[in-house]
Amino acid sequence: MRAVAVQAAPALPSGLFDRLVWHWRYNPKLELWIAWYAMVFFYNLFGVVFVGMTRVMPPPKPWWDMPRVVQWFNDNHSGLLVGFGIIFLVSGLTAACNALIGYSMRRMSISRAFAYSYIAIYSVSALPGMLLTAIALTVGAMRPDRDPELIYWLYDMGFMCFIGTMGIFLIGTFVWMIAVLIDKNRVLPKWFGYLNICNLITEFVVATSWVFKQGVFAWNGAIAFWIDTAVFAVYTVAFIVLLMKMIKREDFGDGPLAA
Amino acid sequence: MTEAVATAAGARFVEPDERIGRSNAVDYVPGQTDMWVFVLVEALIFAAYFITYMICRVQDPELYLRSQQRLNVGVGVANTLILLVSSWFMARCVQSAREKRYDVALRQVLSALMLGFLFIGLKLVDWSRMVGEGLELSTNEFFSFYYFLTAIHVLHVLFGMVFLGVAVYQLRSPLRRSQEIVETSATYWHMVDFLWVMIFALLYVIR
Amino acid sequence: MTASSERRLFTILLVLSAITLISWWIGSTHGQVDFRLNGPVTCGVILIATVKVRLIIREFMEARHAPSWLRRIADAWLVLLVGSLLAIYFIGVGFHA
Repeated sequence: MRAVAVQAAPALPSGLFDRLVWHWRYNPKLELWIAWYAMVFFYNLFGVVFVGMTRVMPPPKPWWDMPRVVQWFNDNHSGLLVGFGIIFLVSGLTAACNALIGYSMRRMSISRAFAYSYIAIYSVSALPGMLLTAIALTVGAMRPDRDPELIYWLYDMGFMCFIGTMGIFLIGTFVWMIAVLIDKNRVLPKWFGYLNICNLITEFVVATSWVFKQGVFAWNGAIAFWIDTAVFAVYTVAFIVLLMKMIKREDFGDGPLAA
Repeated sequence: MTEAVATAAGARFVEPDERIGRSNAVDYVPGQTDMWVFVLVEALIFAAYFITYMICRVQDPELYLRSQQRLNVGVGVANTLILLVSSWFMARCVQSAREKRYDVALRQVLSALMLGFLFIGLKLVDWSRMVGEGLELSTNEFFSFYYFLTAIHVLHVLFGMVFLGVAVYQLRSPLRRSQEIVETSATYWHMVDFLWVMIFALLYVIR
Repeated sequence: MTASSERRLFTILLVLSAITLISWWIGSTHGQVDFRLNGPVTCGVILIATVKVRLIIREFMEARHAPSWLRRIADAWLVLLVGSLLAIYFIGVGFHA
């Protein structure tokens, strides 16, 4: 908490730039808002890169043969390299998301161990969540004249890393779920705790993509990809909005958080 | 003596001896509304799974019909009845807890829990029989759906049993006994039941 | 528990169990060797399932006493799901007939 709380801050000025400067100097929740805006920026950038630039979401077909896969890499050559280049640059922003979520658990009437284990677990989540995929696919795109067998291998690795790896998210989501449900300080609503169960289940559902190369359970299938991604999107929007409300309600005290 | 309990919805819950022959209360949301929101989300997700299943089924009806014959419908019916009775116990448990007959309520939730174990046991036996006959997840599209839907449902049963466990914990000690938590657990358990009703119809019985 | 609510719950259980068994009988092969496409059976089975789900929601989950928005959302979900299932079935099977 900032020491300036001792003296009353001057009134909020008009004009965008002056207001930003005021927030920089006097807003005790400045770091929280920076973290929140970093999180929103990251998720939006993630969407633009993964959907628009690299064409990894929705994913291409698992059943394509080697020539077709090589062609996909050629078609998306610059998109893959530039898009994932951006991801490599900004991947540190995921720390802001994890920190905010860990912060939400600090105010809850539960052991600090929940926050610490969540942060520990999720700090490695960027690896299977996007970095391994980004590395595999950029390596594949880097030399278009590479042996097609290797490109095919990198294709499988990239997409299985992205869609099929879910253990970290499973345990992390579980930790946050328990924290929200047994919390007595009403930091986050109970329906969000229950919604974590939905996110948990999606981690099990994607496991089917390891078995199937086509159909609804493949990595691009209606069930293993589309419905799963829809649930994840709803869950993400929910926690982004709830964390915003939490920051607004924050009073830097103890005990139940005011509504 | 009657007690009017203000609920979150501002409705008045009427004690049993006041309402012989009439319904318990009006405008009363049992348990936490949060749980009802979650039940709706789960219902929508399962609806998406069911619709996907039906779309796939009508594209290859002969395969689905042939494969369906390998299922043991009797076990399906038994599982349906097990969950129905289990839900019945849980509904009675909520009533007993309302009337503060906590020893009875505890027996009823434990019965519901036992039946949950029986459901899972029977499902495991059925799965192992089928795997023994060479029918597993990737045998064909029907069996993919069969194992997927029943496995995801079993996951929900396991979660439901954890919630029932929370209800048991609440009912055991006079220091706790939150009516809201017991009703919340019951709501989730009934959802597990009605989802199975749909799964049974779609996997086992439709032609 | 008052006798009337105990009786009511038990009656609901009996009804649910009975229509489960009826649904099983409808779907059984009746002496035929193979399963075959059967529109009326499928329709009947799905509608019976709908009735069961609705009974569970209204009686066991006590939606009967709940605010009307809750009942309406539950009914809307059921109608949309069952409507879609039946529509997909009959349209899809129509292409195979």
